[in-house]
Amino acid sequence: MLGYISNRIMGLIIVLIGVTVLAFIFSNISSVDPAEAFARRNILNPTPEQIEEIREEMGLNLPVYRQYFNWLQGVLRGELGTSLLTRNPVRVDLAEKIPATLSIVGLASFWIIIITVPLSVLSAVNKDSFFDHTLRIVTTFGISIPNFWLGFILLVAFAIMLPIFSVVDYGSLKSLILPSLTIAIPMASSSIRLLRATILENMKKDFVTYAKARGISKNKIIWQHVLKNSLPPMITVFCQYLGYMIAGSAIVEAVFSWPGIGSHLVSAIIARDLPTINGCLLIIAVIFVFFNLLADILNSAINPKMLSEAGEV
Amino acid sequence: MDNILEVRDLNISLLENNSTIVKDVSFDVGRGKVLGIIGESGSGKTLTCKAMLKLLNEKVFGVRGKVKLNGADILNMDDKQSRAFIGKDISMIMQNPMTAFDPMMKVGNHIVETLKAHTSLSKKQAYAVGMRVLEKMNLQRVAEIMNSYPHTLSGGMLQRVMIAIALMLKPRVIVADEATTALDVKNQAIILDEFQKMRDSGIGLLVVTHDFGVIGKVADEVLVMKGGEIIERGTVHQIFYNPRTEYTKELLEARFLVDEVNYA
Ligand SMILES: Nc1ncnc2c1ncn2[C@@H]1O[C@H](COP(=O)(O)OP(=O)(O)OP(=O)(O)O)[C@@H](O)[C@H]1O
Ligand SMILES: [Mg+2]
Repeated sequence: MLGYISNRIMGLIIVLIGVTVLAFIFSNISSVDPAEAFARRNILNPTPEQIEEIREEMGLNLPVYRQYFNWLQGVLRGELGTSLLTRNPVRVDLAEKIPATLSIVGLASFWIIIITVPLSVLSAVNKDSFFDHTLRIVTTFGISIPNFWLGFILLVAFAIMLPIFSVVDYGSLKSLILPSLTIAIPMASSSIRLLRATILENMKKDFVTYAKARGISKNKIIWQHVLKNSLPPMITVFCQYLGYMIAGSAIVEAVFSWPGIGSHLVSAIIARDLPTINGCLLIIAVIFVFFNLLADILNSAINPKMLSEAGEV
Repeated sequence: MDNILEVRDLNISLLENNSTIVKDVSFDVGRGKVLGIIGESGSGKTLTCKAMLKLLNEKVFGVRGKVKLNGADILNMDDKQSRAFIGKDISMIMQNPMTAFDPMMKVGNHIVETLKAHTSLSKKQAYAVGMRVLEKMNLQRVAEIMNSYPHTLSGGMLQRVMIAIALMLKPRVIVADEATTALDVKNQAIILDEFQKMRDSGIGLLVVTHDFGVIGKVADEVLVMKGGEIIERGTVHQIFYNPRTEYTKELLEARFLVDEVNYA
């Protein structure tokens, strides 16, 4: 098990290096010159000499690989550079924004779980019933509706027309409800599809027939045998969702004016704030990779077969 | 002659197109008797067995007829009532022991779960009973087996665990659908031995197989199925030495062909 995890971690480090290298390459082939952007923001009509000076100060005159290694050295020391926009250390800005995003994502995960599990079981058990068909239509909407639109609708419905939740009320638990639901609804919709299909597949398995033949009750068969066996793909997908939710939080954060890492990244991109962009990408990639690893660990913990396939019984 | 199992006019149809797959199947199993069912692939043997224990999906199959266990028709009871009989008075040994167990549940918990479904034993008591029934099956290191996940045991071992589960609640009838097919010769012999013990203890046994060898060793009477119907029935002797239908003759000949190929 330990050997397996350390193998995975090695692989993940390679992924992280790949992501950050790509981030560097892409920001370099972009047509906007960050030194010029910075100069224009801070100096009225900068001269070419001033722009050159700034470029050197920021290390942007060096070849990309040198820039990357300088940045990487900083990362290893725990330094992500200084934001060109806020002039704070990137690390400090991120530490301030991440909790806001994590609280939305945390609550969204809670919604996803409590919506997905019972609805999937009910619709699988009552396959082709009115409930099942209705749920299929609802989840089709849930999957295809764009996030900003869903957020907007929820905002108009529950904060303006029926002012149950206030719009700009950052910090309270109540203010988390609409943005977290906005993130949760599409994800819950697609995970209901997945879990329902997996449950239906498992219901055809021999072990279900044998459990019936032993006189085990339908409820026990569903909740103790079928559901448990249907969880591994769900766990994998759910952990990926966690990554997507954090990476994709920008839109929802913009709709609900929520000061999280997503909106922070968007303003950094607009301002060509390279250190912040790289810092955000690194954090998002780390989170992604972490949840993928977590999915593997959880799966091998609940699935005895996977454990022994990984070399240990 | 006391029959513990009476199956009458069992009909199984596919609901989607109303076609009949198993037609008018009737037979009896007496105390300590072994009834063999033989027939080509797709002749409806498995469906017949599953229908008897109400294992078929009601949304796919329509099942009519009577399945009487000691006079009580379990087929036409509601599910709550019949569940008290299924797994207790009538139990099943499945064809493939490697897929019959829940891969995420330890072997011991399968036993405990089954005992708890039919008795008022506590979990601890049920676990102790589980150890005892496995020992009776001549399995070694039963504590280890109880604590193992199914995929870590061999097919032969799991098949014996399945037999232990089938026997532990003192059933009147056991249905064994191709219970020896997935096993090697040595394990087959062990299972056939168990079948003999079951019949000696008065259990009625329904043995479904492709293998005339198995039928010859254990059965008293034989049904031959084709296309969902019973086309011939008789004692083992009659069927083997005096088959009335061409189909049965062909099945017997095919069997010798297989043997020749095996020994060639
Ligand atoms: N779910 C199903 N839907 C439609 N037809 C089915 C279904 N299950 C079984 N059948 C059909 O019913 C017939 C009988 O199948 P059954 O499994 O009882 O045969 P069998 O005698 O057990 O064969 P085998 O020796 O291969 O195990 C087959 O022709 C099969 O095509
Ligand atoms: Mg069969």
